[in-house]
Amino acid sequence: MDLVRDILDKQVVDREQVKIGKVDGLVAELRPGKPPRVAAIELGSITLARRLGRRPGRWMARLAAKLGGKDHGEPHRIAWNKVRDIGVDIEFDIDVRETAIFDWQNWLRDHVIGRIPGAG
Amino acid sequence: MKKLLEIALGIVTSIGGFLEIGSMATAAQAGAAFHFQLVWAVVLGTICIIFLVEMAGRFAAISHHTIADGIRERFGFNVFLWPLLAILLINFMVMSAEIGGVAIALELATGIGFQWWALLVALLAWLFLWKGTFGLIEKGVSMLGLVTLCFVAGAVMLKPDWGQVAAGAVPTLPAHDRANYWFMAVSILGASISPYLFMFYSSGAIEDQWDRSYLGANRAIAFLGMTFGGTISIGVLIVAALVLPAHGIDQVDDYHQLPLMLIPVFGFWGFVLFVASLGIACFGAALEVGLQQAYLVAQGFGWTWGEDQKPRDNPGFSTVYTLSLFLSALPIAFGLDPLKLTIFSMALTAASLPLSVIPFLFLLNDERYVGKHRNGMISNAAVVFIIALGFVLAVVTIPLQIFGGT
Repeated sequence: MDLVRDILDKQVVDREQVKIGKVDGLVAELRPGKPPRVAAIELGSITLARRLGRRPGRWMARLAAKLGGKDHGEPHRIAWNKVRDIGVDIEFDIDVRETAIFDWQNWLRDHVIGRIPGAG
Repeated sequence: MKKLLEIALGIVTSIGGFLEIGSMATAAQAGAAFHFQLVWAVVLGTICIIFLVEMAGRFAAISHHTIADGIRERFGFNVFLWPLLAILLINFMVMSAEIGGVAIALELATGIGFQWWALLVALLAWLFLWKGTFGLIEKGVSMLGLVTLCFVAGAVMLKPDWGQVAAGAVPTLPAHDRANYWFMAVSILGASISPYLFMFYSSGAIEDQWDRSYLGANRAIAFLGMTFGGTISIGVLIVAALVLPAHGIDQVDDYHQLPLMLIPVFGFWGFVLFVASLGIACFGAALEVGLQQAYLVAQGFGWTWGEDQKPRDNPGFSTVYTLSLFLSALPIAFGLDPLKLTIFSMALTAASLPLSVIPFLFLLNDERYVGKHRNGMISNAAVVFIIALGFVLAVVTIPLQIFGGT
């Protein structure tokens, strides 16, 4: 498998098939004497900004921490051993509601979208 | 039988998506200024969009990816960012122009200035997206778009010299106003080959859960739908060519000149038909572009998307279309001339084509996505041609914008 070709930038879904983001980054673990191994995937704006360069990455991390609190100053990670299926989407054995990935969408729903009449 | 019905609906939808302020305004301008001489630009643009729409549908049906998904996945985020920003910007301008088109229709109907209608139009479009389903928007609104067939009826009733119309399908050099001629050709191409059209089509194929059994339907819809759309554009051009110069208008630079087009054919009802066509076609296009903005962002970043879900369950998606609708209404609300904006954004669309079309060359030839349904020679030649055309248009648009624009 070619990691960059077959994993990076693919759609990620949780075990309920909820679309939670794309594989924005890969975390590899370096092992002495053995080939590196994928440890986790990363999602979110900080990882994306880091792909554009170090400075955008730092700016985004600072912005995210400012808006979302200290625990949002780091990218979201999902351990690779949670992977369940790789097809059109990559399915991880997690429940997005137990992560902080959708915090911003939840905030939007509670403070903006949900307050507009007819949001369902 | 079910498939036939779906093909019919698909065709109707495509016609609705094809005809909007861009194709109406550019065709009317071209007809008034150069008689039938620019028919070839409509024909060429229609052939190009047939190929791109067919490919977008085939890609979605086989790979279960939208075009936006495909570009992000195949080329990575850093490359994806460029077409993303370009298409978002162009969609923003096109949506502004469409809102302007509805606002003009309302001004013509009521006498109240167009800028007062802009936010109201945005609000109404937003309500459709907020409460409506994909089926309602795709089928209902575009069904109403069939009113634009009145241009074809009008063109036939004016009894044009069909030999001359056919002769216009072959490109020729103009006797006067060269810069203006080419600028109009570019705008017509931009109006026909809209990125939002094929991006939206691929999202629609996913929303309607297409699989490989839809390949035939896809081909029929792409060909017939776009051909009908192009036919209506030619209808507009013919009507404009036969009516406007006869009333001393050979330079359409004010939208108040446009309703005149159908009056010699249908009398007072011609005015009503024009206003209804403009309003409905532009409203439908505003809905589609608004949805497309949300699709593009949500697909690019991997959020949940889909018009059939409640806004509550889809906060990111619904925020994008809400914001883009109201932001697009602002330039019109501040009084920016919708006709100028339309022509400008159509030319810019043409110039942006390489960015959105180059990915087709890779995606539609990649077995991991389309398996054995890869592009053949002809489709690839068409893509290469459109990219080359886009590059030429990008190079000429800017000077023409300065020297040839109205």
